[in-house]
Amino acid sequence: MNTATPPTPTALALDADWRDFFALTKPRVMTLVIFTAVCGMLAAPGSLNPVLAFTAILCIAVGAGGSAALNMWWEADLDAGMKRTRHRPVPSGRMEATSARDFGFFLSGASVVTMGLAIGWLAAAILAGSIFYYAYVYTVWLKPRTPQNIVIGGGAGAFPPLIGWVAVTGHITLMPVLLFLIIFMWTPPHFWALALFVQTDYAKVGIPMMPVVAGERSTRLQILAYAVVLLPLTLLPWWLGYTGHVYGMAALALGLVFVALSAKVGLRHRADQGDTMKPEKRLFAYSILYLFILFAMLVVDRVATAYGV
Amino acid sequence: MSQPVTPPQPAPRPMTPAELAAYRARQQSRSRALAVVLVLIVILFFAITLVKLREEAARHRPVSAAAAPVAPATAAPTGTH
Repeated sequence: MNTATPPTPTALALDADWRDFFALTKPRVMTLVIFTAVCGMLAAPGSLNPVLAFTAILCIAVGAGGSAALNMWWEADLDAGMKRTRHRPVPSGRMEATSARDFGFFLSGASVVTMGLAIGWLAAAILAGSIFYYAYVYTVWLKPRTPQNIVIGGGAGAFPPLIGWVAVTGHITLMPVLLFLIIFMWTPPHFWALALFVQTDYAKVGIPMMPVVAGERSTRLQILAYAVVLLPLTLLPWWLGYTGHVYGMAALALGLVFVALSAKVGLRHRADQGDTMKPEKRLFAYSILYLFILFAMLVVDRVATAYGV
Repeated sequence: MSQPVTPPQPAPRPMTPAELAAYRARQQSRSRALAVVLVLIVILFFAITLVKLREEAARHRPVSAAAAPVAPATAAPTGTH
């Protein structure tokens, strides 16, 4: 005799809340995107009408939000398998995957067209490139295929100051490229520090993150290597005369701390049991603070130089 | 070739008054958020249009007006760009 109870009919599911759409844009990541873009604009020689400057920042933020929504649409299956991401709108069932996809495409297209019409088509082209880079090159192509995903994919997060600079000047010079390279080189140690303490989650869904594929020892050494390379790179704008001493001294002090914290992570072995991964968590937290302060000092330096300090 | 037979799906039950109220509240919340965003977009595009018109007007100003003394740029470039 079949004793199984029939499935309970369910009422119509609730529509996604506007907060779910907002969550699709990864607002916390967007904070750093907006901040670095603003710093890129403020550090650029020249000026921009405040309305247009606001529009440029909005387009960069909305473009980043659009690519984040496309990322969440594409990775909904993977997100469902990870503790950190299973509560996102699509894997949790609060939103249809197609809604996330349509929202992502709309935000991406609208941000690029608005940037082109209001600011300029070079800035719009770079914005379109950054969206494509994150939504396709990183999310679809690199992330599931290579442990170097975050190294090359880090370029996606490095675009905002470059776009901010181009929005003001209308052209690309060496300085915004250096800003791009700084974020590019900062991303691997920042992300791998996180990947070390959420390693089991990535392994579970088969994402070839560096700790999963190359092992923890190799990842730790690579974190240190990137931090060591990052230090002279952040000093280049000072050595080349693009910035003053205020930025130079700050970059040196911040970079030395970054290398010291990376060395603690790079040269240590994880204890067999009860390891709370404190150095890795500390490095991850500091890496965010590091980038905020470094880019803020770029602006402070520019103001200081303008006032002859 | 025979088509796979799918078992009949149970018809969705009607919403309870509490569920219906939650559904309507969420719809209203979304509609309000969308209205706010649309109004902000209209204001933004209006402001952009004004700025662009002003820039265009300044670009096509007669030479005598353009030759008037101009205040120095507020943002001095740093380094060698």
